[in-house]
Amino acid sequence: MTRHPREPRGFDRRQFLQRSAAAALGVSSAGTLLAACGGDEATPAAGTGAVDTVTPEDSPFQLARRDNPITLPLFDDNPPIEAGLEPESGATLKVYNYIDYLWKRKVNEFAKEFDCKVEISTFSTMDEAVSKLAAGSAEFDVFFATVDRLGKLVAGKVLQPLNLDYVPNLQGNIWPQLVDPFYDRGALYTVPYVIWADGIGYRADKVTEDIASLPNPYEIFWEGGYSGKTYLLDDYRDALGMVLLRNGGTDVNTDDPAQIEQAKTDLLALIDAVNIKVSAEDYSKVPEGAAWIHQAWSGSMIAAPYYLPKGLDATALGFWYPSSGTGVVGNDTMTVLRGAQNPVLAHHFLNFMLDETNAYENFYNFNGYQPPLNAVTPESLVADEAVPENLASAVLTKEDYDRSQELLELAPEADVLWQNAWAEFKAGV
Amino acid sequence: MTLAYMVWAIVPILVAIRFSFNEGRSRSTAQGWSTRWYWDDPDLSVWNDPSLRQAVYQSLELASLAMLVAVPLGVLLALALTRWRGRGSGPARFVSLFPLVTPEIVMGTALFLTFVHLFHFVELGTPAQVIGHVTFSISFVVIIVRSRLLSIGPEFEEAAMDLGASPRQALRMVLLPLLAPAIFASFMIVFAISIDDFVISAFLSSDARTETVPIKIYSNARGAPTPALNAVASVMLVVALLAITLAVVVVRLVQRGRGERARTVEDFAQLNV
Amino acid sequence: MRSRQWFWASFSLPGLAWLSLFFLVPFYVILAVAMGTVDPIFRFPVPVWNPLEWNTQAFELVLDELGPSQTYGTVFIRTTAYVAAAVALSLAIGYPVAYYIARHGGRWKGLLLLGLVAPFWISYLMRMLAWVNLLQEDGLVNRSLMWLNVLDAPRNWLDGRASTVILGLVYGYIPFLILPLYASLDRIDRNLLEAARDLGASRVQAFRRVTLPLSKAGILAGCVIVALPMFGDYYTPDLLSGSPKTSLIGNQINLYIRGGPQVTLGAALVVVLMVLLLVFMVYYLISTARLARELDR
Repeated sequence: MTRHPREPRGFDRRQFLQRSAAAALGVSSAGTLLAACGGDEATPAAGTGAVDTVTPEDSPFQLARRDNPITLPLFDDNPPIEAGLEPESGATLKVYNYIDYLWKRKVNEFAKEFDCKVEISTFSTMDEAVSKLAAGSAEFDVFFATVDRLGKLVAGKVLQPLNLDYVPNLQGNIWPQLVDPFYDRGALYTVPYVIWADGIGYRADKVTEDIASLPNPYEIFWEGGYSGKTYLLDDYRDALGMVLLRNGGTDVNTDDPAQIEQAKTDLLALIDAVNIKVSAEDYSKVPEGAAWIHQAWSGSMIAAPYYLPKGLDATALGFWYPSSGTGVVGNDTMTVLRGAQNPVLAHHFLNFMLDETNAYENFYNFNGYQPPLNAVTPESLVADEAVPENLASAVLTKEDYDRSQELLELAPEADVLWQNAWAEFKAGV
Repeated sequence: MTLAYMVWAIVPILVAIRFSFNEGRSRSTAQGWSTRWYWDDPDLSVWNDPSLRQAVYQSLELASLAMLVAVPLGVLLALALTRWRGRGSGPARFVSLFPLVTPEIVMGTALFLTFVHLFHFVELGTPAQVIGHVTFSISFVVIIVRSRLLSIGPEFEEAAMDLGASPRQALRMVLLPLLAPAIFASFMIVFAISIDDFVISAFLSSDARTETVPIKIYSNARGAPTPALNAVASVMLVVALLAITLAVVVVRLVQRGRGERARTVEDFAQLNV
Repeated sequence: MRSRQWFWASFSLPGLAWLSLFFLVPFYVILAVAMGTVDPIFRFPVPVWNPLEWNTQAFELVLDELGPSQTYGTVFIRTTAYVAAAVALSLAIGYPVAYYIARHGGRWKGLLLLGLVAPFWISYLMRMLAWVNLLQEDGLVNRSLMWLNVLDAPRNWLDGRASTVILGLVYGYIPFLILPLYASLDRIDRNLLEAARDLGASRVQAFRRVTLPLSKAGILAGCVIVALPMFGDYYTPDLLSGSPKTSLIGNQINLYIRGGPQVTLGAALVVVLMVLLLVFMVYYLISTARLARELDR
């Protein structure tokens, strides 16, 4: 399904490039500095000899954490492609992604530039995607994986290691902490796609409380009383993670059964309190008024003004993310699958999407999810009229990213605990 | 009462069709009339959006293949179940009709697991989807053909055999022509059922090329779809209606040609199980 | 004679072979998965084919939570309740319609039947989405009800109500009930009814004493054809409600079976569901056999 792209308003490409070039220049030198000394408070230096206290002993793969960066294993029978190869000709590049996550026009531009066809297949949950990929039943070239599945995907030899010679756009354009991320030191298998934060999206014209000034803003779900208009994200990690934070938990990747059990109990309490519902369509439900309070991804709220019915403007929307302390952020990655029929084209596609203009236009004109470009800041986006001022809180800065947590891979036993808690909530007992 | 039922049944469909002709992007507020979602709109109309077009092709392809496999299997099965009086016929009947009452999520899951873990020679995607569609369609064919067989009765064949024909000849020259309307109707019913199937197609699909129209509707509808979705569903409705009407008309003509009373639809609704 | 029987019996071979391969075997596969193990990396199911090596852990987990106030028990009970309500409602609506067409259809029978079945040929999902449209706060249903003064203010039909889901189920499956009902009503010999009237019965008595009992087979068939698939429905609650309060067993199965660490649990749930349905199926078979015997007498 395609959407009609927003009309670019006052977006002058030359201005943007000038502005971003200046920013990039300032940062790219820092980038090389990083590679040289491996020092930056967000990403602990590799090879400091830190002991992995997170991964259980018998686990077939390592669990990445901010304070436990890992280098994904390379295998002899799964080598990266050679350098200097020509892109495949007359090919159909097959991309496997969430629905509505890539702007069609960008995809068409790529197809034209590389004289190929591009076919996008979609999945609705990461579980479903990994299940199909592991079954070996589908052949794709590019896969948009989330960080919390990388350990499994690499151990299961589903992904192929990247040859970064084909992806020069990675260095310089992208935030340094994502060029050499803790979950994939050296970017062996992944490059980042977009980043987001888990926050609260709401209808500013319907919600009477000032969410930001509440002592515990998450309480608005339980105490707000917006019966039938309160939604959680339909994802077991996001939803339970939010309850953990509301309960004052400090680790959203906990395997502590007591905390998970408490979170589940609190979730169940929501059913009676506000007739809670779940959805993954925060970007349309809030502007359309079906939801007045919705646990939301930041990118959805940036895209939301487009879905407003006539008579409402963006001031009717709001987004809250903790301005200090911790919250949940995340990022997607782009990867090349081991069974890719067109690996060279796949690498070029990754490089294409990391290009500043392409990434920015994909965000600005289509999915609203912020690419971790050095040139993008809340101020620059508001100035470009990409984001209305009252939604500027939905744009992440590097500092926001650094002080926040991520929903990361769980050990299988912990995963079972989480899934069971979620299933029990979903059963509405 | 019946009228009220008809109204209740048809209003949502009329609403859906109305919005497929909407000029604006809304699927719920009336915004003028236009055919843009069918073919005008350069990016998003059914005609111009390759993913929607592909979904239509895939639905039609699956339905055609399912038709060609399910009907012969079902006809043979129906013949056997009606004429065979032996001890195996009871269980055989049970097995033939069981798919009818099996929930689709059960069948979808079972087939998915089977093709992934056991029958590796069947790939997910079109081959798997065809097999799934055929499997649940066979029961419908059996019901339709059996009901016709029961109303025909054994007299014609027996007469033919009294006149010297072998059972095979009696079958070919007497019974099959008599059954032709039912067989034709089975083709159309399998076609129409297959077009509408969602669960089994979804479980057994592999990539975008094997997504059918119902899958597209489900995955896109939960977000913010355009009326192109209504348009594509209306297109499929028209195709299915044409198929059914064709079946009824042809059968009526054949029956009238033979001088039988044209009780077509009522006949098939007999559902002799 | 024997050879003739074999002649006909042989016709069933292709169909039965197909069904064995692609219908019966998959049931065994589900069992093998439910009783199987998981691979160490993805925790995806690894089926175990030999019954002697079956691992009952998944079943134990399911049975643990099958009690009336526990997770799966609650959902099973809720599903049964919704299906029962939906079938009852379908019967209440469908019987009069089928009766009318069978008895008073006359020349229009064919057309009416076609009109009956036609809605069924537009995508089920599209019809449900159309309902979502109509049930929205500013939708046609609310507007009509307010215009008729039945409602004072728009009601939020989509906030997770059982009634909306049940009506959705009825709407989706009712054609499958009406057809067999019509079939059996149509087959009732009018002479029997005339005889009853001749003997002095009123219309209502004739209906109660003649038509109703003779249509029992049709009622039973219709209910079974509708109820059993309803048990597996999961997208109706998804589309018409978003709330955990109305989730059905199909939703739970879908949650586990689509990937993630507990596919074996999902397979075990499927097996439990099928056992439940088999109980109903057997009840149906016994009832029809009994009815057939009564009618033959």
